Amino acid sequence: MEFKEVVGRRRSIRYFQSWRRVEREKIQTMLEAARLASCAVNATFLKAIVVERSQLDRQTLDALKTPVSALNIELAPVHIYTYIDTQAFVGAQGRLRTLVDVGALNATHGWSHKFVDEFVWPNILKPLADNATQAQTVAAAASDAGNAICQAMLAGVDEGLGVCLSAFVPDPIKKVVNPPDHWLPLWVLLVGYPAESWEGGGQRPRPPLDEQFFEGKYGNGFKADPAVTERLKAAKMIQAPAPLPWRKQEIQALARMFGLPE
Amino acid sequence: MTPIAILKKPLEDYESVQNWFKGLKEQSGVEEPANEPWRLALLGEFCGYLNLDPDGVVKACLLIKEGRQTKISVKGRRKMVEAVAEFQARRDTSDSRERARRGNTIRSFLIHNGILLQSGMQV
Repeated sequence: MEFKEVVGRRRSIRYFQSWRRVEREKIQTMLEAARLASCAVNATFLKAIVVERSQLDRQTLDALKTPVSALNIELAPVHIYTYIDTQAFVGAQGRLRTLVDVGALNATHGWSHKFVDEFVWPNILKPLADNATQAQTVAAAASDAGNAICQAMLAGVDEGLGVCLSAFVPDPIKKVVNPPDHWLPLWVLLVGYPAESWEGGGQRPRPPLDEQFFEGKYGNGFKADPAVTERLKAAKMIQAPAPLPWRKQEIQALARMFGLPE
Repeated sequence: MTPIAILKKPLEDYESVQNWFKGLKEQSGVEEPANEPWRLALLGEFCGYLNLDPDGVVKACLLIKEGRQTKISVKGRRKMVEAVAEFQARRDTSDSRERARRGNTIRSFLIHNGILLQSGMQV
């Protein structure tokens, strides 16, 4: 699938084929996509643990549901529990030196081993590493983890899977997957083949471009060029908006199939 | 107690029932809920089971304090979830879909009155 179409097709899928196993290679593809995401100081803030729902006992499964995520968690055959690694700064000095060695950080931009060792590490990164749970550090780490999760989601869509980020109750799953104490729980990325059509009823409503993005200064909305919009429609990045005409009938059919309330 | 003994007016005249039918029509694509009398019949049976009228069923899930924002009561909601599950299981039938319909009809009534319930697959 072309990249723009992958972006256009992604939806939060909330009905999964609960009975259909997801191929391990597809999960690996998603994890590889996350691994290759942009990350500050080459620190891998995102950590994740893949769990097949069928491996969880009923008590654990029920305990980790939040009121709004219960059904998603129940239906998705694969759960990827994501965490922020608050100690990801540890080792950043060595990783930055490696980036200098491989030609990613260069003298053209002021980078050198000496700059890493004598300025960046002691003055910037070490204080962050020493105060890993302060709000600014966590916000930066969450942003990078979000980048990585997003790439995993898009890779999943490209593999024909449905994906949905959901909240989860961390303690019950902690007993099962045993993450280190310095990992902060983030989201569970639910994965499976969609039981609803991939359109998910249509592209979700979003504000116009110029309400969300600005040019030059705040208040000066970024104006969309209609020709570009048409090109993105042709590339299937901008798709038919929700609701598609048959969406309510689709939900009724899904409710009957799964035994859910209308 | 039968629903008739509890109710002070026809079921469809209760605000919560009107909310339910409005939600079914506008959000769930049900053309005319009033044309499907089994919904009201099941709600009436549930009201009799709890000895509450429909508005009372909704109120039992809420935490209402004067001068404060009304909230969903964790305890009340949990009790109601259990009551719906019991009500669903009461029907002596081997047809799991029929049992699910009993419970899901009441869940639908509560959901369209703003009481979040996710009870999972029932069949």
